[in-house]
Order: sequence, then C-alpha cells, then structure tokens
Amino acid sequence: VQQERAFTFRTVSVLESVVLRSFGPEGGQVLFTRDTGQAMLSRSGIRILSALRLEHPLARMVVECVLKHSSVTGDGSKTFVLLLASLLRMIYTMACKKANVSRTHNTRDAAAAATARRLADELLTFASKELEKLIVMGVVPYGYSLSWDDFTAVTRLPCYTDHHCVQKLLASFFHTRLSASHCDIVTNLTCDLLTRWKFKNDQPSSSLQFVNDNFPALHTCVLGFSVTSSHLIEGQVIHKDFATPCPHTDNQPVKAVVFTGYLEPNLIVQFKAWAERSLSCVIANLQRLGVSVLLSAVKQSAAVLTVAQHADMCVVECIDEDELSLFSILSSFFVLFHRYVHVSFNHLDERDTFKPCSLVICGPGEGQTDQYACAFQDAVRMLLSTWEPTAKASKKTLQSNTGTSLHTNNQMCSVSLLEPGCVISAGGTFEFLLNHVLLQHGRSRSVSDGKSVAIPEVSQLLADALLSVPRQIYSHRMQCFLQTQARLLKADTTSKVFMLKLGLESVSCKYRLFLAVLQCVSSLLQVDTVLHTQSHRLKNISWEGSDDEADV
Amino acid sequence: MSRLVKKSPSVCTDMPLDNTDICEKLSLFGQLVRSCLGPRGRLKQVHNDIGGSVVTTSASSVLLSVVSSSQPFINLIKTSILNHVSRFSDCGLFAAILCLSLIEQDKRAGLRGRVAIGVNKHLLGLCTAYLQREDCGCKVRLDFSSSQNLIRLACSSISSKPACVLTAAEALHISRLCVQAFLLTVPCDSPGIVRLGKIVTMSVEGLSVLTSAVFPGLLVDMRDVLEVEAPHPNPLRVVVFSASLAGDLSEIGDGRIEVRPGVDMDSQVLDRLLELSEQVLRDEVKLFVCQRVIHPVVQQYLRRRGVIVIERLGVTLMEPLTQLTGAQPVATLHSPVPVTAYGRVSNVSIRQFGSRKMLHLHPPEESAICTMILCHRNETMLSELKVVCQKTEHVLRLTLRDPSALLGGGCTETHLAAYVRHKVRINLTETIPALGCSQAEYLLGVEGFCRSLESVATALEHDGGSSLIDLTHAHHWTLPPDVMKEDVEDSLGFCGCGLVASSPSKQWVCLNTKNPHISPAALSGGATVQPRVLDSFTAKLNALQVAVETANLALDVRYVIQDMN
Repeated sequence: VQQERAFTFRTVSVLESVVLRSFGPEGGQVLFTRDTGQAMLSRSGIRILSALRLEHPLARMVVECVLKHSSVTGDGSKTFVLLLASLLRMIYTMACKKANVSRTHNTRDAAAAATARRLADELLTFASKELEKLIVMGVVPYGYSLSWDDFTAVTRLPCYTDHHCVQKLLASFFHTRLSASHCDIVTNLTCDLLTRWKFKNDQPSSSLQFVNDNFPALHTCVLGFSVTSSHLIEGQVIHKDFATPCPHTDNQPVKAVVFTGYLEPNLIVQFKAWAERSLSCVIANLQRLGVSVLLSAVKQSAAVLTVAQHADMCVVECIDEDELSLFSILSSFFVLFHRYVHVSFNHLDERDTFKPCSLVICGPGEGQTDQYACAFQDAVRMLLSTWEPTAKASKKTLQSNTGTSLHTNNQMCSVSLLEPGCVISAGGTFEFLLNHVLLQHGRSRSVSDGKSVAIPEVSQLLADALLSVPRQIYSHRMQCFLQTQARLLKADTTSKVFMLKLGLESVSCKYRLFLAVLQCVSSLLQVDTVLHTQSHRLKNISWEGSDDEADV
Repeated sequence: MSRLVKKSPSVCTDMPLDNTDICEKLSLFGQLVRSCLGPRGRLKQVHNDIGGSVVTTSASSVLLSVVSSSQPFINLIKTSILNHVSRFSDCGLFAAILCLSLIEQDKRAGLRGRVAIGVNKHLLGLCTAYLQREDCGCKVRLDFSSSQNLIRLACSSISSKPACVLTAAEALHISRLCVQAFLLTVPCDSPGIVRLGKIVTMSVEGLSVLTSAVFPGLLVDMRDVLEVEAPHPNPLRVVVFSASLAGDLSEIGDGRIEVRPGVDMDSQVLDRLLELSEQVLRDEVKLFVCQRVIHPVVQQYLRRRGVIVIERLGVTLMEPLTQLTGAQPVATLHSPVPVTAYGRVSNVSIRQFGSRKMLHLHPPEESAICTMILCHRNETMLSELKVVCQKTEHVLRLTLRDPSALLGGGCTETHLAAYVRHKVRINLTETIPALGCSQAEYLLGVEGFCRSLESVATALEHDGGSSLIDLTHAHHWTLPPDVMKEDVEDSLGFCGCGLVASSPSKQWVCLNTKNPHISPAALSGGATVQPRVLDSFTAKLNALQVAVETANLALDVRYVIQDMN
C-alpha cells in the first residue's frame, strides 16, 4: 500500500516537471514523434501527456482524468497536473502530521493513508457544496461578463474597454498554447472566423457549437508557407481536386448535385450497353436542369467522368462525409479555384445572417499546422464552455466515476450560480482571489461553528494548493508574484483596468478544473493496490486492472 | 483479428539545444548544407545500404529527401525546408543555412528563448518590409519585353546546380530553352482567366547537351508504329480513349460470372470494339490514341486503313494531349462516340533523337503545350538536369506573380544585413520597450541575425577564398585565397551579382570581422549595367520567412518526446 502511494506521488511529480516546461509565459514547445514517425509540436498539456505513453496504471489514470477534463473545456490541462501535484503534496504532509496509530490501523502508514483518503473526500464534499458559492462571492465581482456582441466590435486597437473581452480571452488562451510570436495573428483570425459564422437572433453557443462540430471541414492546412500567411477565405473548401478539367465560370452561379452512390452499375457485355445508356440519360437530365458540377462521395467509373465531361460538367470525387454534410447545409455556390475545389455561397436570403468562410492555416511543416488547428478547435471549445457553464457541468458529474456518486446527485439538482460568459483577468488572479476568499471563509466558519473542525482545515489546504499556480507563472520573477497578490487584495471591484493587462480567462473553466482535480485526487487516493494480471493466451501482454474501491 | 501489442514508453530529452549529441548533429547538418551551396558547391553522392541507385546531387530537394536522421529535431528542420522547396522550388539551401546558423548564433549568444524569438521576429519584419519596398536596393524589376533578364534568372538557377556538369555554353543553351518553353506555355490570346499550359519533359541519354530542344506540341514515343504515310489531310481528326480497349473483363471486380455454354464472351467484346473502330473510320479519324492497351486485332484493323494508332499513352500525357487536341477522352464502349469528343492536330511528323523515334503532334492552332527534349551524356547528370529544368520552369512561373528578382551571388544577403544593422542603430530607443528585453540583449540578437545572413553569402565560397563587403553598396565580393594585399582591387573585378565593378575609390572589409556601420546606398542609374546573377524574389522571400520561423520554433522547443513503437 505504502509503495503504491509513494509511486503515485512520484509519478505525479514527474508529470508536473514535464508539463512545467511549457507552462506559463516563459514556457516553450514540446516536440514529439508519433509511432508513425511523424513529428508533432505542441504546448497542449494533454497532447504531451498522452505522447509519453506511460505504462503504470495509476499514471494512465491521471492522464485519463486530464483527457476527460480537457476534451470538454479544451483548456487547463497543464494547470490540472500542477494543481494535482500540489494538492497531493499538501495532503500527504498533513496526513503524516496528523496520523496516529489507533486501534483500527496497525501501522503509522496505514493511518496516514486513511487520513489522506478522508481528507480528499472532505475536500471534494466541500468543493462541490461550497466552492461555487465562494467563487460567486469572492471572484465574480472582479470579473467581466462577455457579451456576444463583442465579436462585432473587433478592432485591433489595444484599448481597455469591455469590447475586447473575447479577443483578450482568446489571446491569453493562445499564449498558453502557441509560440508567442503568432498569437496575435491567430487571435484575430479566430475572432474573424467566429464573427462571420455568427447566426443572427440565435444563442451564441449554437454558432460556436456549429463551428466546433464542423471544424474538420472548415479548415485547410497548407504547408510550406510561413504562419503569417494564414487567412480566411469566403466559402467552403472541398479538399479534393477536380477529376475532370474545371470550367471557367466567370463568377456565375452554378448548380451542383451531390451523389453518394455509384452512377454506373458494374455489369458486363450487353448489360454494359444498357448501363451506359441509362448513365447518359441521367447526365442528360442533369444537363437539362442546368447542373454543371457533380460532387460525389465515392469514386465514379471512367465512363461517368467522360460522359459528364462531354456534357460540360465537372466532377469531384471521393469527398469527405463531413464536407458533404456541411455542403448540404450551405448549398448553392459559384467561383472555382484550382488544386482544391473552393466553393463560395450566394444565398440571398441568408446573406445578412452569416457569412460562410473557411480557414486556411499555413505553416512551414505539418507539425505546426496541426498544432494550430488543434489550438483553434480547443479555443472554440473553451469559449463554448465559458458560455455554457451549467449544461456541461452536470453532464460531467454524470460521467464521473462511482467513487463520487454521493455528490453527484447533489450537484445535478443544484442550479448553477455562475452566469454564462463570466471571465476574469489571467495571470493568477483567479487563484489569488479564491485563496483569499477561502481563507476568510475558513476563519469565519471556525468562529461561528465550533464543532466542525474539518471546514477551516480543508479550506486552508485548498487555499495553499491554489497558490502553486501563480507561483509557477511568476517563477522567473518572484517579486512579481507578491506585487500582483498585494495589488489584487488591495484593489476593489471597480478598479479593473490594471488587471486587464494580464489577459483574461474563463471562470467556469477554472471552476470545472478544480472540481475535476479534486475528483481525480480522491479517486487516486482510493486506489489501494494495483494487480498486475497476465492473460494466458497472449503471454506478452499484460493489462492492469486497478482496484478502485478496494476498501471503501 | 487485430493483435494487441504492448506500447513501450517514450524516450524524453530535456532542453534539446543543451544536449551535446543534438548540437553535434545540428552542426554536421549545417556543414552538409553549407558545402552544397552555389555554382562551386560540393557534390554529394548518396548510397543506401541495400545497394539501390546512387544519386549525385547538390540540390536541396533531392539531398534533404534522402538524408534521414534519428533525431526528430533535425527532421523538424528538414521537413520545413522540404515543404518550402516543394512550393517554391528554389532557395532551399538558403533557408536551411540561414535557419541553422540562426539557431547556432542565438545559442552561442546565450539569449533567453523568448527574447531571441522576439528579436528574430522583429528583424524578419524589418527585412520583409524592406524587400517589398519599391526602392529596395537589392531588388530588380523584371522586364517582360526582353528575355535577357529571364534568361539570367534561369541561368543563375541552372548554374547553381553543379551536379548537372554543364559548360558555360551548355548552361546558357539550357537556360534559353527553359525560357523558350516557359514563354510557349503562356497563352497569348485568351481573355479572362489565363490558364498556363504544360511543359512535357522527355530525356534522352547519350547525346550532347546542345542537341536538347523545345518543340511546340507534343512528342509521343513510337513503339512499333510503321512509317507515317506522307500525305495527310490537314488537320487530322483525333480520338482519345481513356478506357482499356484490350477486350478484357478486368473491371468487373470480384464475383462469379456464369456463362452459358456456347457463348463466347471474348468475341462478343471484340465484335463491339470492331464496331466502334468502324464508326471511328466512318468519321474519318486519322489518329487513334488510347491511354491503355488496344487489342491487337483492332490495332491491325485500324492500321490497315491508314490510321495512326498509339496505345499505352499513360495517364500523365492524357491531360496535355486533351489540351492540345481539344479531344474529350471516351470511356463508353457500348455507345457511339459523340462527334464533340473528336479533337484535331494540324500535322504529324517523326523526330529522331539518338535511338528514340518520336511522333510529333503539331498543335492545330496556337497552344500552350510544348515538349522539351533534354539530352545529356549519362543517367545521373540527366536526372539532375531534369530536376533542375523543372525547378527553373517553376521559378520562371513565379515571376508572373511578382515580376521582380533579387540580386544573386550573396549580394542580397550582405546588403540586407547592412540594412538591418543600419536601421536598428537608427531606431534603437523606439524598439526596445516593445520587445521587452534589455539593449544589450537586443544588440546581441541583432548581431546574431546579421551574421547568420552573412554566413549564407560566405557559404558560397568553397575554395578557401575570403568574402568581402564593400562599404558603399554593401555588396558581396570574393577574394581568391592567394592574392597579395596590394592587388586586391584588380583581382576583385565584379561583385557577386555583377552589378558593381571594383574601382580605386571603393573600400572593402572582411565579412566575419566587426563591421563598421554603413548605410547601404542603392545604385543610381543602374540601367546601363545589368546584374549577371539573379535569384527568385518570391522564393527567397518565403525562404527567409520559413527559415526564421523554423529557427524560432527550434529555439522554443523545451522537450523532445520520442515514441519508440
């Protein structure tokens, strides 16, 4: 038991040291090669962790938890590991101090283990009950509320008004994920993209959801150029070339038809003649309807290509399903572009509501374009979870493991107190403020309510662990850490201006992050033993089952 | 059944730029690319361990794609350069050298990662802004009314690849051919969107380079065509098939075919093919082309009736052929060929190159398709020549997008470095606050950037000569190794690009010494003297951006994780 515990602790510390290299303003990139030999670049915590291909089941469990969290919010994976490590460290220290050999526990170690487990459970209970309230009380007043109209007022002047919130939020997100020199370009591109995809008279989340769902079809990676040449183009890009020479359209609207099956059946001899006749009938019909582009999901036979070509139609084959579904949403297009088919839409009735466009991401190599595409998608996810703090939070608790089932019910029925779109300045502000509130809360509780000793203790522990995040952010200049903390605690809720310089981050993402970390801590501590079992049929494969609730 | 295989843990390297193994590999890679640059670059012979073909080259596209490293760090740089070359075909070595020496310089200066990246990005912005200015001192406007500059541009690109083993006269001949072929592919009389034609390159081994030629139209190998009969109606009607006419049933796929006894499927298919040929004959087709195989009986049938038959054309020639003749390929065998599918050629003739006999299809009117026959003495030189000609064609096409060129011979690099030094000195106080670093750090970064640029110019010299820079125009000069101090002026002659001649009033300093600050002057009244060496503007601009961006990326990498599966 003791061994496992020490191991967990060591593993998490190692993970922390890996992640720290790319954390904070001085963090850099991590280069990794896939098993296919492809080189990838990333500053995203979850990609780094999964690239390590850790073997130990406990380490894998941690990675699994981070993955679950970041697939929802798209953000916070590095902070996750950092917080996890510092929480574990604090819990151990406290548990060792408090552990007494009692009747139930024979050894000191066992006692410490039991105390640690109890502490983790109390932390989780406390957090799921009180944390949201505390955040609303002590953090939200310092924050800002994003409004969806911010996108329309995107100007590039760096003045500190509320209108730049979304841009700032994105900028600080990209600063944690990309090389610092290209953050501005990428932020502006994202803002532009979202502005263009805005559905009028609709919830912001629905258009964000749309971009998130269709992102694979909405971006194109182009290699061999510098990142600065990335841009948006109007319309949709279908990532296939024409199978037949493309016509000159002179910006006239053209009609297109989408096929998902084969136009010509596979037959021989006499039947072939019949098949060809029916094919030319189909094409003639299409010609009469004025169709001049055939989009096909499958590869058509040579006969189809030539018949279509004789009828002055051009064919695009093997189009991705995602792209076709996006196309069917948008439909009707003109203007064509070599290499890839580029369609731009001309919907008169919809023109004023949104402007379809797709993103062209340029980069010198595949590693970079991939990284940028990932960061884009995560940014959209992050925005989405900023806007919808409730819906996803309850879903998350449903998915979480049975170890916390006690609190799940509690959470589901509670209505979120956090307002959608709440953001706070970055650079550790959230942690400083929450730390402050937690300490106050602990003190007040200990005064008012004498019998419960756990609350002040737990909030103290959580507050201490929180500070490890800003400590890392300012690790190169320690005096900044104290300065920022002092300024924040002095500042009242009206003087927000100086804080804006630090950038912005989402409160709901942070809140969800803390819950996820605490859940991870408690499930890590509940692991008692790891059984390495060996399958009989496949000798070289070992798969580990971690006995989750061995002694609950 | 899929097998489960246990994944092994990855190998990590912390701070790769502090790792001696990686640093050694980087400097080795640097030496490799540096030694290849320029017309006097050293050739590299590439063998693989299983005895495949031997490649002799100094071109970045060929060399980098065969060099492989176990270090992902090196591969990262390599793929960036290769992606650039695949887009722009030129300046790959320039980008590689610049990128590697930027990494080396910044590491040597011991700058913090973030500071070095910020400075590099700022200086890149300075350079690109200067290069795009109208009055840029190292840019030349290309004049399409004369082919001289185009030929110079082509010639610089061709002569910088010594593995082609060309004499000066041969290099000039090939450059002329490249420009001629390029001009043939630009259509003259099509309004609206211009669609460039295509150059089909064919190589013939064993002939002198000077027999290489360019023909308008298309040349097709004649495998077993008999003599073409002399009188043909002008123009000839052409039919092109893209489906196989071999009479087989290969496209059926898997599945069972049940045939009733007495039914001969082969003969049924053949009958259909003969019917098709009859129709084609009725329509007075004189040239019958098929992408795939034609049944021998059909071939015989058509040839007897005076039709020229070409089979197994291959998919690469299909597009130029349809563009040339205006024919639409036919793939339906069971319906009559529509009249609109026929195309035309104005004439056919036979051309012989060594042992190769080719059928020359003349275009019916002006067409953007042409064929380039490249001849060289042996296979390795020929394959390099072929690559070089394709690159040159691409470089020439890039001039249509932006009709400018940069001075070659290292002059652009030295000029740019001098400009950056000058500009930085003027705006010193304004830029530092924005970058968030100290003045000393900034100046260190600037020095590293300028030295890296100059190191590209220095890399052009391989015979122990020294590189100089003049103090008026900041052009690049090369001094042979055994020259006395007194006759420096006589032995210099012209600068690297040939724009400036040496004169007693000029002063030079060595490139790798501490440079005095100069404000590089643009040449006045340069209309009389034309530069002799030109580089592609578009390619070099992108190469500069890619090199700095890749170097920044490499400086930003803190951790390398290698998946060992």
